[in-house]
Amino acid sequence: MDAMEAMMTRRSIRKFTDEPVTDADIDAILRAAMAAPSAFNQQRWRLIVVREPARLAHLSKATPYAGSLAGAAVGIVVCGDTTDERTPGYWVVECAAATENALLAANALGLGAVWLGVAMYDERIGNVREILALPDHISPLAMIAIGHPAETREPAERFDAGKVHYETWQDAGSGN
Amino acid sequence: MEALQAIMGRRSIRRYEDRPVEDDRVEALVKAAMAAPSAGNEQSWRFVVVTDRDRLDKLADASPYAGLLERAPLAIVVCGDTTAEKHQGFWLQDCAAATENILLAAHALGLGAVWLGFYPVEERVEGVRQICKLPDALIPFSIVALGYPSEEKPPGDRYNEEYVRRETWL
Repeated sequence: MDAMEAMMTRRSIRKFTDEPVTDADIDAILRAAMAAPSAFNQQRWRLIVVREPARLAHLSKATPYAGSLAGAAVGIVVCGDTTDERTPGYWVVECAAATENALLAANALGLGAVWLGVAMYDERIGNVREILALPDHISPLAMIAIGHPAETREPAERFDAGKVHYETWQDAGSGN
Repeated sequence: MEALQAIMGRRSIRRYEDRPVEDDRVEALVKAAMAAPSAGNEQSWRFVVVTDRDRLDKLADASPYAGLLERAPLAIVVCGDTTAEKHQGFWLQDCAAATENILLAAHALGLGAVWLGFYPVEERVEGVRQICKLPDALIPFSIVALGYPSEEKPPGDRYNEEYVRRETWL
């Protein structure tokens, strides 16, 4: 799939078939996630691949919006190593970029996926931490439910000219 | 360009040819940015497209790592509108996903780009706020410097097996 098409057609897919996801596809998604940029190339993302149905079901209850993990073939939990002192807190940003890369790769591979937020809520973070036995310095940012899509969704038209200004916000000729 | 190739081949490009980026490419970049996912579809991102030489030079001085903007024909300032949030604190993640899409679109379109971090360093944020006359509700998150590349970099192999765990951390 073309790169622009992969971005423009990516939608949140929450319903999946029973078909398993191949190891090769998971590997490609992990590699895409790790190809993201990071501050000073620190690469603080840590990725936990979950395939056991019981654990996926458990994770699906870790946040109010994670139900789709229960029917997913695989979950990838995107965590950050928070020990960094050079750019404190920035692991959140890097892990978000890695998450987007994973979603795009899934779409390009013909898979469906959805980004399920964990941070910035302490309760959700605690739930995921417990289920995955995360040590203190590893913090979950998001979970990605992945599988073969059992729903099709048309590309979303999110373009809004009013959100683009030129040179300064005030000088804009468009909207706002 | 194939999507996986774009993702795996993207590198930080800091040297550019001395020629402008066409309007249709700028439009494709911001469209890609706005196709990103966001928390509850809140789409809290806002963009300021800068091509004015004086303003690019001023932005170059707004962060110790932004000097290359003096040689870039184009910058896209990615801002978060905190008043647009449905989920508090998620604007950062929305803007990160949008910024990554700009970088990938740039690579796919034959452009070079680099992500320059501004938030949360207060003096950098304030500098951009003044230069781009941002209202209080908008927080400058990052600046993507862009242009036709005058340097080539091979794909960076960042895959690290040690960063992957199965089922649990243990």
